[in-house]
Amino acid sequence: MLRNVSKGGGAQTEAAKRAADFTLVKRPAKGRGALACWLALPAEMDPKATPLVAVHGIQRRAKDQAASYAARAAALGRPVIAPIFDARSWPRYQQVVRSGRADHALLALMSDLRLTGIWNTRRFELAGFSGGAQFAHRFAMLYPQLVARLTLSSAGWYTFPDTAAFPYGLSARAGRRNDWGPRLAAGLDQFLRLPIQVCVGAEDNLQDANTRSGAEIDRQQGRDRLTRAQRWAEAITAAAAARGIAPQVTFKALPGCGHDFRDCVEYGGLDGVVVPGTGPVDAAVVRGSAAGSGFSGREVMLQAGL
Amino acid sequence: MTALTPITPEVLARAKWAFSTRRVRRKDAVRLSENLAEATSGDLVLGRVERIGSHKKIQLAEGRASELYVGDLVVLACGDRYAPDQFEGLAELDPEGADMLAGGGVLGRMRHRHARMSAPTRVVPLGLLTHGSGKVINLASYALHEAERPQGMTVIGVVGASMNSGKTTAVARLAHGLSRAGYEVAAIKATGTGAFGDFNAFVDTGAAYVADFTDAGMVSTYRQPLARIEAGLDTLLAHAARHGCEVAVVELADGVFQKETADLLKQPHVRDSFAGVVFAAPDALAAAGGCAALRGMGIEPAAVTGMVSCSPLGAAEAETATGVSVVTRDELADPAQANALLGRLVEGRDATQPAVAISEVGVAA
Repeated sequence: MLRNVSKGGGAQTEAAKRAADFTLVKRPAKGRGALACWLALPAEMDPKATPLVAVHGIQRRAKDQAASYAARAAALGRPVIAPIFDARSWPRYQQVVRSGRADHALLALMSDLRLTGIWNTRRFELAGFSGGAQFAHRFAMLYPQLVARLTLSSAGWYTFPDTAAFPYGLSARAGRRNDWGPRLAAGLDQFLRLPIQVCVGAEDNLQDANTRSGAEIDRQQGRDRLTRAQRWAEAITAAAAARGIAPQVTFKALPGCGHDFRDCVEYGGLDGVVVPGTGPVDAAVVRGSAAGSGFSGREVMLQAGL
Repeated sequence: MTALTPITPEVLARAKWAFSTRRVRRKDAVRLSENLAEATSGDLVLGRVERIGSHKKIQLAEGRASELYVGDLVVLACGDRYAPDQFEGLAELDPEGADMLAGGGVLGRMRHRHARMSAPTRVVPLGLLTHGSGKVINLASYALHEAERPQGMTVIGVVGASMNSGKTTAVARLAHGLSRAGYEVAAIKATGTGAFGDFNAFVDTGAAYVADFTDAGMVSTYRQPLARIEAGLDTLLAHAARHGCEVAVVELADGVFQKETADLLKQPHVRDSFAGVVFAAPDALAAAGGCAALRGMGIEPAAVTGMVSCSPLGAAEAETATGVSVVTRDELADPAQANALLGRLVEGRDATQPAVAISEVGVAA
């Protein structure tokens, strides 16, 4: 059963009209261990458009992810897919390969969505905020061939391209045969060739209760998200250069932002980083969608189909 | 001059056409030649089942097994077979009765059989099927168009210690894992004897393209010229590329000591085109011997798999003896782990050296 909640409009330009014309859909999980997701589907879907997969943080606000990027993506005919790693089934989805295998779940979801025609390209763009950024960079290290561009926002900590034991680095943990670090390392060249955008709030420089800390990680990565993001971006850049790969890594501190996704979109312009190229849509439509007071498209609760 | 007997479509429609004949256009068969002495590998034979022996079923072109009865009409391909666990035989037809060498549809003369095998099913050859021109129908006429090896495709070879060492499972699981990881994958059997077991196992993986040497016009690669087998592999890879495949997992049948497999692996054109080779072994000793044999050919195994991987102790022994990682079939089917294996091969960083020289464990290199 479909339920229309609201309709958008009011944009002035053609781009803004396209941006306004999207549908926000919640797709329930299909089967045990499957992921539900929020989808932002443009009215005019470009079959060649690369979808954006936007992964939530540990607050699990997948709808915010889809809604915040929806207008800009719709202006380009691109769908946004925001998987929901619920806390009960996926307590440690950020590490991707922990029990339950969050990577398998996302692959299965993307396979299902391909069957329903929501995307048709070889690769997708992958973005994540906080815990979602942790997931996103580890997933991209495992499957670099699937990722067209990677945008990491405000990750608490990272897997570095160094010899620290996994999950901090790419070496095997002591006593582990066939550990994950070397598996991530196997695709490192391909990963380092990806366009990678690293963002973090310029004021996200305080440890909080959710910041993983300790002597080892603080020494390797720094004490706060801002420092860690800078160090990781530098490490990725250096690793690429060391392998003779031209790095495509950018770092951006989002002005006036701490560790709040909506702030990062509304004040830091994170949406424009994740979905660039929409020009005049910015002011007309996007801000309202990110502010939590609503959004410009239609919202649909999907209980059947798709 | 050879006598040609017209044969009706009704008769041929009653016959059970074997898997090996699946590419043949049946309406082309309009006559029967009794000149069995001239039969060569790949020629189509109409026969009548005389006695049920080891093979109690025939694998049909339609992809299912059919119970055989005495008196059944069958269409098989004349061919050689090399199967240490079953029969070894030649592409020769005795008018008094020939041997069904493989359930996939290979008829010939058995020379050797494994001790546990009963006598082969006997088939009386009624004649060779011919075109209207009198030319004998041969599988080669229905092969895929010959093509050169494509550039840019990543090819992973899977070889083993013997029959039933786990090669087909390894190919299937790796093809499945890589498909789940988002690749367009081809699963190919480059050598062996025509049968649908492996072919169907590959189809079941969801691979984008599946083919075997029968698609290249050979009922069996045993005793075929090396150049023909090599060209067949190139053709299958080329057609896989045309189907959009970027990765191919290629099985070479039997063990690395089997002549055609060994000869292929020694060919620089074949060996160098493999991004890596996975070795399937039943136990640690076979893993050690097989890895040594591969290294003797200038091939560093990328991984060991097969039955040895089912035993943690066996796997540990194999890793110690060979210095090569042992991967289980579940690991090969895992998209992340299949991807990591591919990544190691593509990035050329699979330079693990043996932890123990092979001579230290008493296996001649």
